[in-house]
Amino acid sequence: MPDKSDLQRLYDEHAQALFAFLLNFTRDENDTRDLLQEIFSRLAREPGLLRGAREARAFLIRLAHNAAIDLIRRRGTRQKYHDQLAEEESYIFAVAKDADEAAFRESLSRALAGLPADQRAVVHLKLWENLTFEQIAETLDISPNTAASRYRYGLDKLREHLRPLYEEIK
Amino acid sequence: MNPDEFEKHLQRQPLRQVPSEWRAEILQAATSARPSSLDPLARRSGAKAARPSLLSTILWPNAKAWAGLGCVWILIFALHIASRGNSPMLAQVSAPESANMMITLKDREQTLVELMGNNSPAKDADKPRRLDPQPRSERPGTTAMA
Repeated sequence: MPDKSDLQRLYDEHAQALFAFLLNFTRDENDTRDLLQEIFSRLAREPGLLRGAREARAFLIRLAHNAAIDLIRRRGTRQKYHDQLAEEESYIFAVAKDADEAAFRESLSRALAGLPADQRAVVHLKLWENLTFEQIAETLDISPNTAASRYRYGLDKLREHLRPLYEEIK
Repeated sequence: MNPDEFEKHLQRQPLRQVPSEWRAEILQAATSARPSSLDPLARRSGAKAARPSLLSTILWPNAKAWAGLGCVWILIFALHIASRGNSPMLAQVSAPESANMMITLKDREQTLVELMGNNSPAKDADKPRRLDPQPRSERPGTTAMA
């Protein structure tokens, strides 16, 4: 069982990545916090949870993904409202000083929110976690081909949505 | 648009940082969720509570219904106990009354028999009705009507 220092180390190493992934997936800061707490509480409760994991980061993201899906399923009929909320708020990027960059990040955040959650998860893991399709497939429990196609579809939609802004700031 | 450049541009966008105040809150909540942080008594009772109990498995889904049923059963049992204590007295009180009543009834029956004699209409009334063997069309009443 991880003691307090182990938990602190795990938090310092992985909380940022889990936070970004969960915020992008749920698009809700409160949900992200609840899920993050759920993951670390589970790590504290269950001995040897990470013992069999080849890569702690991938394993924790998998935990986060499953917990987020459970949360969405528990909500059931409220999902429609949740999807609507996802398109409205929670910018996942740091605030930019440059106006063009700020506009691009805002548009990118909105474009990501417009993607289906499964595509959004793959795009996030590929772009900001630098995982391979094999790693993404293992993390999200899908085939590598499915991961690759979801990434391609997602990226095409982002490109289409962001083309004018991207051409401006390039 | 060069796809690689576009992807690289997306990758360069810095993600939001996890709020710094969350660290202490989440770690504290996680630490308090650890079983080892509980005192031994609570841990023992927690383990006992966590042990799957057949009784609780059966009762828990309808706990209120079972509790209500239990209350009703206790009430019925209490009433039964109370009434059992009174029942000999009731029997003693009611026994002479029923004996007297039987004597009175026999007297009245005797009087009735004497008044009505042996050929009482009640006995005739008790005789079974004779079924008419003739078909309905050959009965006298039916012919007269036709």
